[in-house]
Amino acid sequence: MIKEDKKKKQQVDPNAGAKKEDVMGPWKIIWKRLLKNKLAMVGLATIIVVALLAIFAPYLTPHSPSAVNMAKTNAAPDNVNLLGTDDLGRDYLTRLFYGGRISLTVGLVSTSIRLLIGVTLGGIAGFYGKRVDNFIMRLADIFSCFPFLPIAITVVALLGPSIYNVMLVIGLLGWPGIARIVRGEILSLREREFMEAATALGISDFRKIMKHLLPNTMASIIVSATIGIAAAILTESALSYLGLGVAPPTPTWGNMLRSAENQFTLRFRWWLWIPPGLAIFIVVISLNLLGDGLRDALDPRLKQ
Amino acid sequence: MGKYIIRRLIQQIPILIGVSILLFTIFHFAPGNPLASLFSDPNMTPEQIQQLQEAYGFDRPAYEQYFDWLTNMLRGNFGRSIQLRQPVSVLIQERMWTTFQLAFGSLFLSLLIAIPIGVISATKQYSIFDYAGTIFALMGISIPSFFFALLMIRFFGIHLKWLPISGAQSPGIIYAFPYNIIDRARHMILPLAVLGLTGAGSLMRYTRSSMLEVIRQDYIRTARAKGLKEKVVIYKHALRNALIPVITLLGFSLPTLFSGAVIIEIMFVWPGMGRMQFNSVIQRDYPLLLGINMFLALLTLTGNLLADISYAFVDPRIRYD
Amino acid sequence: MKNLLEVKNLRTHFYTEDGIIPAVDGVDFSLKPGQTLGIVGESGCGKSITSMSVMRLIPNPPGKIVDGQITFDDRNLLTLSEAEMRKIRGNDIAMIFQEPMTSLNPVFTIGSQIMEAIMLHQKLDKKAAREKCIEMLNLVGIPRAAEIVDDYPHQFSGGMRQRVMIAMALSCNPKLLIADEPTTALDVTIQAQILELMKELKEKLNTAIMLITHDLGVVAEMADYIIVMYAGRVVEEANVYDLFEAPKHPYTVGLLNSKPNLQRTADRLEVIPGSVPNPLAIPPGCAFNPRCPHVMDICREEMPPLESIGGERKVRCWLHTKKEGAK
Repeated sequence: MIKEDKKKKQQVDPNAGAKKEDVMGPWKIIWKRLLKNKLAMVGLATIIVVALLAIFAPYLTPHSPSAVNMAKTNAAPDNVNLLGTDDLGRDYLTRLFYGGRISLTVGLVSTSIRLLIGVTLGGIAGFYGKRVDNFIMRLADIFSCFPFLPIAITVVALLGPSIYNVMLVIGLLGWPGIARIVRGEILSLREREFMEAATALGISDFRKIMKHLLPNTMASIIVSATIGIAAAILTESALSYLGLGVAPPTPTWGNMLRSAENQFTLRFRWWLWIPPGLAIFIVVISLNLLGDGLRDALDPRLKQ
Repeated sequence: MGKYIIRRLIQQIPILIGVSILLFTIFHFAPGNPLASLFSDPNMTPEQIQQLQEAYGFDRPAYEQYFDWLTNMLRGNFGRSIQLRQPVSVLIQERMWTTFQLAFGSLFLSLLIAIPIGVISATKQYSIFDYAGTIFALMGISIPSFFFALLMIRFFGIHLKWLPISGAQSPGIIYAFPYNIIDRARHMILPLAVLGLTGAGSLMRYTRSSMLEVIRQDYIRTARAKGLKEKVVIYKHALRNALIPVITLLGFSLPTLFSGAVIIEIMFVWPGMGRMQFNSVIQRDYPLLLGINMFLALLTLTGNLLADISYAFVDPRIRYD
Repeated sequence: MKNLLEVKNLRTHFYTEDGIIPAVDGVDFSLKPGQTLGIVGESGCGKSITSMSVMRLIPNPPGKIVDGQITFDDRNLLTLSEAEMRKIRGNDIAMIFQEPMTSLNPVFTIGSQIMEAIMLHQKLDKKAAREKCIEMLNLVGIPRAAEIVDDYPHQFSGGMRQRVMIAMALSCNPKLLIADEPTTALDVTIQAQILELMKELKEKLNTAIMLITHDLGVVAEMADYIIVMYAGRVVEEANVYDLFEAPKHPYTVGLLNSKPNLQRTADRLEVIPGSVPNPLAIPPGCAFNPRCPHVMDICREEMPPLESIGGERKVRCWLHTKKEGAK
C-alpha cells in the first residue's frame, strides 16, 4: 500500500513541475525544496551574515584587532568597546569579527583538503574496484583507527601549532569518511545502464569518472562537506583552546576562549568568554541545520 | 560463530601493522629531537647525551627502530616515558581505568537519554516532541564540549557551588566508606554530564532515523495486521530491528568517545589518559605519546571487532552467512 | 445469505505536500461468507488502499478515511475504537501481503511470530500455542514443521515464507482473509502452488477471501466475483464467468486483451495506450477517457455512474449508460 503511494508520488513530481514551468533543472528543484525548509534557511542566513561580518570586518569596526591599549584592559562593555576589551586592552568585538575570519577559513580550507583526498581516493577505489579498492579501503580503515582529537593533538604538537598545520591535520585525518561515501555511490552507479552505454561508446575512464560518475555523487558530497565544515570549525576551536591550534596574537574563537582559564574572568567577565563560545555554537548549528536541509532537499525519500 | 570471530581477528592484523607504520612514520619524521628537553639541561655532558641517544635507539636507521619497537610491543613493552621515567604500559594501566569510567559512564548516560527520545521522536514524527528532540540533539552536536564544560563549571561549580569542578576526588582528605564513593561520584557528575549530553545528540538522531526506517517496513505492517497493540509493535517488533545499527554504531563510536574524553579530562583536571597525553604533548614525551596513540588505536580496533561480533549476535541473518 | 463484509461509499484520501490524492474515491462492494472477491486494477488504482482501509491500517497522516461505511459481521468498523479494532485484526480479518521476503520480522523466529497472534487472540498458553503453530505449518504444507518452527525467516525461500504468512493469517480461523497480491513476487510454479493451497484451505476452513491483484489469471483461477478498479473507483463488477466472457468497460476489455490467451490467435498482445493518470490531476469526466478507444464528448465532461446492466453486473461507462434526458 505504501509502495503504491510512493509510486504515485514519483509520477507526480515531474508532471507537477512541468506544469508550473517549462523545464526545471535538478538544482532548481533542490533549491525550491530547500527554500521550503525554514530551519535550513535560518541556518543559511546566519552563515551568510557571519561570513559578511568576517569579510567586511575592517569596515565594520573603527578598532584594529591588534591595537593594544594598556590604559583600558579587561574593560566591561561600553559605548566605545561594545564587547569590552581583553587583557591587553584590545577591542573584543573586533577580535570576534577577525576570529570569525580564521575559523571560517580553517573550516573551508580543511574541508577542501578532505574533499580533495576523499573524493579522489574514493572515486578511484569505487571505479577500479578489486585490489585498488581493497588497498584504499584498508588505508581508510587504518586512518579511522585513530581517535581524532588525540591524534590531531599529537600531530599538531609534532609539527608545531600553526593555522596551516591545523588545516592540514583536519584535512589529512578526515578523508576516510568522504572516501567511503563516494566509493559506495560510485560502486552502485558503475553497475547502472548509463555506464554500460558509456563503455559501449568508448569513453575514457577519466571522462567517465569526471563527467558521469562524480556529478551523480555530488548530492552526498555537498551534504557531508557542509557538515564537515561544522566539524572542522569545532576541531579547530578545540585545538586552539588547548593552545595547539592557531597561536595568539591571531584571534580565533577557540583561542579567545582561553581567557576563561582565568577563574576571575570566568566568574566576573562574561564578555570575554561567552561571545566566542556562542559564536562557535551558532555557526556550527547553522551549518548543521543547512546540512540537514540539504540532505532532505537532495533526497526527499529520506525525509519521510 | 567461532570461525567468524577468528576470521575477523585475522583481518585486523594488517590494519594494526598499517597503524603502527603510520604512527611510527609520523613520529620519526617529526621535526625536533624528542630528547631536546633533556639536552637543554646544562648538567648533561655530551657523553651522557650520546648514551641517552643510544639507550633510546635514536641513532640507528628508521626501519631497525621500527622493528625493535614492534617486537617490543608484541612482548608488551611499549617503551619508557622520558619525563615520568616509567614504562609506558604501566603509566597507561594506571590511568586507563579513570578514563574508562568517564568514557563508558558517559556512553551509558548518552544511551539512556538518546534511545527513548529517539524512539518517541520517530513514532511521533513531526510532533512538538519530535521537533524539541531534534533541536536538543542538534544542540548537543553543535556545542563545543569545552564551552559547554565552561558553562557547567561556571553555573554548577562556581555560581551554585553544588559540585566540585576538578579532579576525581577531593585532595588531601581521606574519607571513610561510603563517603569516599560519594565524593568520587560528585566529582564525576559534571564531566559525565558534559560528555553524556553532547554525545547523546548524534546517537539520538541515529536512533530516530533508524527507527523511522524500520517502522516503514512490511513486517511492521504485518505486526499491526495481527492485531498487536501499538506498544508491542513499536517496542518489540520495531525496536529490536532499529537497535541493530545503533549497536554497530556504538562499537564504532569508541574513537569519538576518547576524543571527547581528552578535552573533558583536561577541563576537569581528570587524572586519566587524555590528560596524561596532553601533558606528554606539552613536554614532548614522544615514547609516551606514541604508546598512548598505539593503545588508542588498539582499543578502537577492539571496539570495531566487538561491534561486528555483537552485530552477529543481535541479527540472526548474519550468523549463518 | 447475509453479507459478511459490506463496503459503502468508501473514500480514503492522502494529504500530501503536492495536494490531496483521492486514492479511494467512493467504492462499494460486498462479500458473502466463504466467497472469494477479486479486486483487479493496475498499480495505483486504489485496490491496496481499499484493503488497508478495511483493516483500518491507513497511516494517518498522510492518509485518512474521509467517508463511507465498512460493515463487517453487522458492525461498522469505522466507528469501532482502536482497541475493538485490534480484536478484529488478525482474529476475524487476517491479511497476507505481496512481499513474503520482507513481511516477516527478520529478528524473530517464524514460530514466535505465528504464536504471537495465537496467544493474543485465542488466549492459549505458550505450549498450546506452539502446538497450534506446528499444526498450522503442517496444514500449509511446510515439511518438518516441528523442526523448523524455531528457524528465522531468512532461512526460508520466498514461497515457503508466503506459506508461513498464510499459516500465520489462518491460525486464528479468520472469517475474512485479505490477500494483497499474494503471488506477485513469486516464481510462476510457486505461484500455482500457493494459489492451490489458498483454494484448498478456503474450502476446508470456509474463509472468505478478498483477493487483490493486477493479474487476471489469478482472479480467473480463484475468484467468484470480480470488481475492476480504475483511479480510485470501481469501473466494472461481475461474476467471474460473465466478466471473462463479455467484458463491458473498455478498460476491462483492454486488460483482458493485454493478457496472453491460448484461445486467441492474434499475433501480438494489445496494450492499453497511455498510462495511469496522475492522481493529483485526474481528468474531468470519466477518468479513463484519455486512454479510451471509444471516447465520446460526454466522457470528457461528466463522470458516468456505476449502473446495473442486468443481473449482478454493473459498469461505469457512458457506452452502457444513457444520460438521463440526453435522448
